Amino acid sequence: MQKLTLKAGIGMMVALGTAGSLALANDMRSETRLDIAPGGTINVLNSAGSVSLHSGSGHQVLVVATSHSIKIEIDQDTTPDKKRVEILTHAKPEQKPTTEEARVDFEIAVPAGISVIVNTATAPITVDGLSGEMISLSADTGQISVHNVSKAHVHIRSVAAPVTLSAISGGHVEITTAGGAVQLTNVSGPLVNVGTAGGNITFQGDLSGGGAYTLTTHSGAIDVTLPETASFDLSARSVSGAVQNDFPLQQKAHTSFVAKPGSSFTGTSLSGSCSVELQSFSGRIRVKKQ
Amino acid sequence: MNCHKFQEVLPYIIETGGDAEEEGHLQTCPHCAELVQDLKYIATQAKLLLPMHDPSPRVWTGIAQALHHQGTIPEGRTSLRGQIMSFPSQAKSWTPMGWALVAVFLMVFSLLLINYRPHLPESQSSAQNMSAQPVALESDDQQLMARVSQRAPDVRQAYEDSLREVNTYITDAQQAVDQDPEDAVAREQLLDAYQQKEMLYEMATARTLP
Amino acid sequence: MTQVKKIIASGLTEAEAIERAKGGDAECFEALYGLHKRRVYSLCLRMTGNTAEAEDLTQEAFLQLYRKIATFRGESAFSTWLHRLSVNVVLMHLRKKGLPEVSLDEALEPQHEDGPRKDIGARDNVLAGSIDRVNLERAIESLPPGYRIIFVLHDIEGYEHNEIAEMMGCSIGNSKSQLHKARMKLRDLLKLSRAEKAARR
Repeated sequence: MQKLTLKAGIGMMVALGTAGSLALANDMRSETRLDIAPGGTINVLNSAGSVSLHSGSGHQVLVVATSHSIKIEIDQDTTPDKKRVEILTHAKPEQKPTTEEARVDFEIAVPAGISVIVNTATAPITVDGLSGEMISLSADTGQISVHNVSKAHVHIRSVAAPVTLSAISGGHVEITTAGGAVQLTNVSGPLVNVGTAGGNITFQGDLSGGGAYTLTTHSGAIDVTLPETASFDLSARSVSGAVQNDFPLQQKAHTSFVAKPGSSFTGTSLSGSCSVELQSFSGRIRVKKQ
Repeated sequence: MNCHKFQEVLPYIIETGGDAEEEGHLQTCPHCAELVQDLKYIATQAKLLLPMHDPSPRVWTGIAQALHHQGTIPEGRTSLRGQIMSFPSQAKSWTPMGWALVAVFLMVFSLLLINYRPHLPESQSSAQNMSAQPVALESDDQQLMARVSQRAPDVRQAYEDSLREVNTYITDAQQAVDQDPEDAVAREQLLDAYQQKEMLYEMATARTLP
Repeated sequence: MTQVKKIIASGLTEAEAIERAKGGDAECFEALYGLHKRRVYSLCLRMTGNTAEAEDLTQEAFLQLYRKIATFRGESAFSTWLHRLSVNVVLMHLRKKGLPEVSLDEALEPQHEDGPRKDIGARDNVLAGSIDRVNLERAIESLPPGYRIIFVLHDIEGYEHNEIAEMMGCSIGNSKSQLHKARMKLRDLLKLSRAEKAARR
């Protein structure tokens, strides 16, 4: 009996080990360092998998790529003037990988002051702690997350990928998504512009530093949560959705539309240090106190 | 005519076509035929290279500073962005020229489609294999769906759902503007809606991923 | 909202924004910048192949626009006028750098082959279907400057040979010849790139 148990155990271990090896055999990890000049740009084009960018040091981009199929090739190159690093995944000639086979996961360490442009189809994109001039992200589906970025122009486009931004300040933020939901937490800057067709927009912050905030959606809901001390000039309108406001507002002398109770409101809170425009067609709009 | 003579005149005939002798050589010489095919393909692909690059924000900063130093922009306005905080206080009337601007957006879509129509996949069978095309999508939108037909099913569905949502957005915004041409917010929403659609077309056509 | 949207939302057309910019309206000028910056910058980048130069030239083009916008009479579309202005800015810059190819002297681009071109590699090695945007952009960047300028102006930006000849001070035949050489060079670069990738596998 003991011999049978031992044999069974050994057999199971061999089987598990083989399965694990087979799984790992298809995963290929590579690490590449690419020179980049100050003020340069990293351009990433990846269909599936994930793209994660975080702050690095020095003047080299560190790219750790994990691919899951031999049908996919990764091109990584620096232009002669080192101003641009290109990272591109594509199917090898005559190969037709499935979505799973096409997955390549990237972990990229980005030196300070470097801009990034990332285009994916389904790959989730995560950006944390970068300090370049421009962060431009584009995805069909998947997910886009940006955290801890200051003084950068953040430009995001998505078909249906939900977008999450937190701790962003000092730069322009422009988000356009057809169906993705947008969540902004502690996002401030001279310009914050969000447009969705069907996605909900959620904003939580203090509107510090002035600026112009425009949140526009067709059928999504807009939820804005602000501290009691927030100072803003507000204009909100939903054509057929309900509107709700917790802040006492001083009425404005001139508006660009006639405010209809229940579907729109305008006014100034405290000194009106920044402007906030909320527009929806059929979604509800809520401005709440924290 | 031999290959040497044909390739000597090729720069001058590649776009307009050659005479009977030159065309005859093309029919009979696979090397020159392949060469012409490659050159035309390169030219065609080049036309698809849309302006894809935005300059960094420091370009505008440099322009504004230069104009300020020249005295052409008053002091205190070297950074124009962020200075405008008030909502437009007076709505402008919606002039016929304003409608021309909307027409410009429609022309942008048309130009995108004209440029990309010849480059749709020759076989539309993959598009036919998709879930049945709903009647609501216009023919231009169906061409966009054909363009994304090679992508993953969930991506195709996302495009289709988004197209419908954006089309409804455009319709609603257009109705709002029709009801009140003076409504600046409605006009802005109409432009937002068109920009959403433009984004979908750009994203569907700009990518060359597997 | 962006300057572009504010201008448009207030009912101004681009033509009206141009008129206001002529009068020194800085916001309208910034809106025009927002509308056209991408095309101007992309043109400069493709013609120079260098991002720093392209940004400098974009800045110069818009500064020239600010100085010259009062002379825009509307005989052509504004974008066409601005585009031509930008091309001239780039060409002037290249001439200052001392690039003789700008004048399209054929002798400076000697032919390397004596006989007619045969295929590189197998007969079924046609390019059709195998070019992606990134590889093509990279190959264009690798072109010698004279070839790159002609290729960008004709095949990407859509100028006709007679317009290129006028801009560059050369003959139409010369323009056609240089374009052909640019395309041939691109063909070689793209095939080489494809062969190198195949060899690495």
